Amino acid sequence: MREIRIRFRKTGRARYISHLDLTRAMTRAVRRAGLPIWYTEGFNKHPYLTFAAPLSLGFEGLAESMDLRLLEDVPEDEIVRRLNAVLPEGLAAVSAAEPVHKAGELETARYRLTFTGELSQMAAFLAQDAILVEKRTKKGGMKPVDLKPSLAGAVYTPSQDGEGIMEVTLPCGSNETINPALIAAAYNAFVKECTGVEQAADCRVLRTGLFCGENLPFC
Amino acid sequence: MNPTLEQLFMKVQKPGRYTGGELNSVVKEKGAVGIRFAFCFPDIYEVGMSHLGMKLLYGLFNAQPDVWCERVFAPDVDMEALMRENGVKLFGLESRDPIDTFDFVGFTLQYELSFTAILNMLDLAGIPLRSADRGDGCPLVIAGGPCACNPEPIADFIDLFTLGEGEEVNLELFELYRRHKATGFHREDFLREAAQIEGVYVPSLYEVQYHEDGTVASVTPKDGAPEKVRKRIILDMDAAYYPDRFVVPFIDIVHDRAMSEIFRGCIRGCRFCQAGFIYRPVREKSAETINAQSHALCENTGYEEFSLSSLSTSDYTELEKLLPMLLDWAEKEQTNISLPSLRVDGFSEELAAKLNVLRRSGLTFAPEAGTQRLRDAINKNLSEPEILDTAKKAFSAGWTAVKLYFMMGLPTETLEDVAGIAELAQKIVNCYYYNPNKPKGKGVNVSVSVSCFVPKPFTPFQWEPQDTIEELEEKQRHLRVSVTTKKVSLHWHDAQVSFLEGVFARGDRRLCAVMEEAFRRGCKRDSWSEHFSLQTWLDVFRDLGLDPAFYANRRRDFSEVLPWDHLDYGVTKAFLAAENRRAHESQTTPNCRQSCSGCGAARWKGGVCTNARN
Repeated sequence: MREIRIRFRKTGRARYISHLDLTRAMTRAVRRAGLPIWYTEGFNKHPYLTFAAPLSLGFEGLAESMDLRLLEDVPEDEIVRRLNAVLPEGLAAVSAAEPVHKAGELETARYRLTFTGELSQMAAFLAQDAILVEKRTKKGGMKPVDLKPSLAGAVYTPSQDGEGIMEVTLPCGSNETINPALIAAAYNAFVKECTGVEQAADCRVLRTGLFCGENLPFC
Repeated sequence: MNPTLEQLFMKVQKPGRYTGGELNSVVKEKGAVGIRFAFCFPDIYEVGMSHLGMKLLYGLFNAQPDVWCERVFAPDVDMEALMRENGVKLFGLESRDPIDTFDFVGFTLQYELSFTAILNMLDLAGIPLRSADRGDGCPLVIAGGPCACNPEPIADFIDLFTLGEGEEVNLELFELYRRHKATGFHREDFLREAAQIEGVYVPSLYEVQYHEDGTVASVTPKDGAPEKVRKRIILDMDAAYYPDRFVVPFIDIVHDRAMSEIFRGCIRGCRFCQAGFIYRPVREKSAETINAQSHALCENTGYEEFSLSSLSTSDYTELEKLLPMLLDWAEKEQTNISLPSLRVDGFSEELAAKLNVLRRSGLTFAPEAGTQRLRDAINKNLSEPEILDTAKKAFSAGWTAVKLYFMMGLPTETLEDVAGIAELAQKIVNCYYYNPNKPKGKGVNVSVSVSCFVPKPFTPFQWEPQDTIEELEEKQRHLRVSVTTKKVSLHWHDAQVSFLEGVFARGDRRLCAVMEEAFRRGCKRDSWSEHFSLQTWLDVFRDLGLDPAFYANRRRDFSEVLPWDHLDYGVTKAFLAAENRRAHESQTTPNCRQSCSGCGAARWKGGVCTNARN
């Protein structure tokens, strides 16, 4: 049995596929591809698939990670080719390889956030000493989080057509995870406080990579 | 891509209902197609996407190079509000183009309570509700499906109906449309010519006159439209089109699996069942065809579950041959075969185990009526010993749950028959406790589900009065006190909903005004109990001076002109009347394989009517 990690893209219409639905879509794709995948042994046998760091509904991703186990050896480029022949629009396999890192080693994710709307307060927003937001905890409560340390390395570039692009690396691991939607929410709250404008900006999220430590690609 | 639409998707529950882009959905080049067809299912995505007929016609239409068929479903409350707020018109899932720019807008009529959802979808699309208000630039609004057998309550809203099976007649309509489009399309000319195609009913070409008492006096065709419109059927099921792939949804839908149709029609002739009459005669597919089609479907969808579809799967003559063929590849490919509505007693234990016949839902029976006398009256040939025998077998195999389906309000039903439901359930409970090997410490659960009978056109009960809401509720109370054990759990359908269904099912054209006014007052999701309001409907009836009981609760005379008499489903009125009389004498009628009862469907000279009988 061979463990394989597949790096895939989830873009365009596929960004509306929820994580649960993605699992089902990938299961069926693997079946259509005729890959000799390992099934779990229980009462309800199903193909064994695991994903690192689920992507929120509506976000796009360029380097998402899915692990599966193959009962027979299939060349890596053939795995990619066979999957791409049967994947729905917006999902595409990029590469397949034996996993180097364990799921627990995943630490950060890099995002490209595309802001549209009223963006004139962005410099002031980023210049704050602390950017406090409420984050939902696993237990269902809320706790305050300061986004400032995560945004320290963010690079924001206004584009000519009125959009603003932010490149930012956020914690994405077992200890701490920050959802980039919190940044857009914090910005909108900031603008509302300064100018009274509600829902000033929209933000599209593209996850460009998953990393272990500094710049070590997860998949 | 429309940026507004993208933003709406992020604000609604389950955007996967509206985004399209599923595997096997068909996207064509707009410029390269001549006919754009919006296939509309008047219910939400999860319900509509489960429907086999839509998958079949979607595949067939898109197999025509110059036709692009897209799917359209009724948006849920949240999406509809956002669409209306933002001026977004109803769109096709594939192109996301508004459907009022399409050539055809086609609705499938699966149940009467979806009629107002059709009006809502037309309204959301910006298409005038009434046929008479549509100009040459409007799409042709067409409809088909089982409820097209009495389309009168929506006759003013639909340009033309197709009766019977849609595979051939729709392609003929496309052909006619191509010709008209090439020479300049005029709606009236097109409709007049379309009425000449067998199976096409253009309601605007028929004038209905009424007697003073509200019954139909006459239905008169004009402009050369046929006196009677006969339904269409496909005779050679092996040669008929069947899709080799289904659109595979991302979100969970009601029936999320591959399905193969194994035959059309039903040999049984249960007198309450409309499907048992309007789909005659029974026509089977060969085991070889089904096997090949099923395997292709599973390979092209990746579905892990697969089922056989028909009105009564255990009546398929080649079942014993087909199942091993299917199991051969399904086991290797880890595909589960699920068989709904099967008689378990017909199977060898080995086959039953392989098929997991009982694994999912346990044992299910549909005796429909509580006493043998009433089962004879409705021609439901399931006897008490058969039921009890099977229950015993299942209990000794370790099963502890049984589901029973009944109807209430059947013609000739008495309180004794109602109490019979409770007695039959009690006998099944007793079977469990007489079983010496019953599992220790485990009780039995017999679940009894009771729906309200609704008389339907083209059945022997089409003349019968439906029980009133009060009568049905009285019978429900009687059943409740007749059940004396906690091992039996009771569930029933809302009598109010069934009443409205009964009004529409046998309604006439005057109901169009009621339909439109009820829609204006907010009735647009009647098939969803949380949105259903009988009071609104009763108010509309009162305000428009019509009595719903006239349609639901009145006994018709055999000589009365019924609103659907100008439509011909092969089964003759004389046969239905004879069956009605037999029902009142509790006389059963043999099934189509035992002997021919002369229903009229033999005129097609196909299927069971020409097969050798056993």
